[in-house]
Amino acid sequence: MADLSIEVQEVDGVAVILPAGFINAHTVREFEDAMESLVKAGRYTILLNCRDLSYISSAGLGAIMGLIETVREHGGDILLSNLQENVFAIFDTLGFTQLYRVFSDQGAALAAAAPERKG
Amino acid sequence: MDHAQFRLVIPSQTRYLNLVTGLAKRAALVAGMDDATAAKVSIAVDEAVTNVILHAYHGEGEHSVELEVRFTEEALEIHILHSGQGIRQDQVVLPDPKEYIKHPRKGGLGLLLMSRFMDEVRFQEDGGSGRNECCLIKKIG
Repeated sequence: MADLSIEVQEVDGVAVILPAGFINAHTVREFEDAMESLVKAGRYTILLNCRDLSYISSAGLGAIMGLIETVREHGGDILLSNLQENVFAIFDTLGFTQLYRVFSDQGAALAAAAPERKG
Repeated sequence: MDHAQFRLVIPSQTRYLNLVTGLAKRAALVAGMDDATAAKVSIAVDEAVTNVILHAYHGEGEHSVELEVRFTEEALEIHILHSGQGIRQDQVVLPDPKEYIKHPRKGGLGLLLMSRFMDEVRFQEDGGSGRNECCLIKKIG
């Protein structure tokens, strides 16, 4: 099984990324490419559904950090949902739960994203 | 209980990260830690080995990284040894998470995760081999 696979969905006008597996220094390029492709296509509201993400290292956090200013400058945001305990611990330990909006499930995240949705 | 230890040597390539983090997690569980703590140990090891591969060896894949795992009554110790460019303890500067939140940017978070998730993180020269070493210690209980 690959260390990481990435699915991108369009749900209610929001780009939803579902990474499955591990985001580390080896797999981060694939994750970064998926995120950057969306931003380049003008998708500035992105939901990262982490239900199948087992693990993220600082390499993955850096990829998210690298795009947050760009999406917010365009009126969008990066939202997080369905974080497993250890993934939440990483975000929380670094204080990132203050920087990103974190939701227990995708539905709640999509509802919160409604005002900033881009066509 | 006698102290036990074992070694794993991997090429300096990120494709093996998943292997070493899996090993670190299992070692923490064997040492008696719970799942959440074991996950933190594995993250710290990922960050330490990534630093060696990308910074000490500048991404060159033909070198080796040695992990020595030691079980003692008080702690799990993971020593990461390499012959690349070393870092001294006094060169370690941890970023301030509050500054990160104010000014988001890439990089620099690995050392912070290591220090938050482990009880002790030491950078030193291994007396026996002259190699550089990052020592990660997690107390049991």
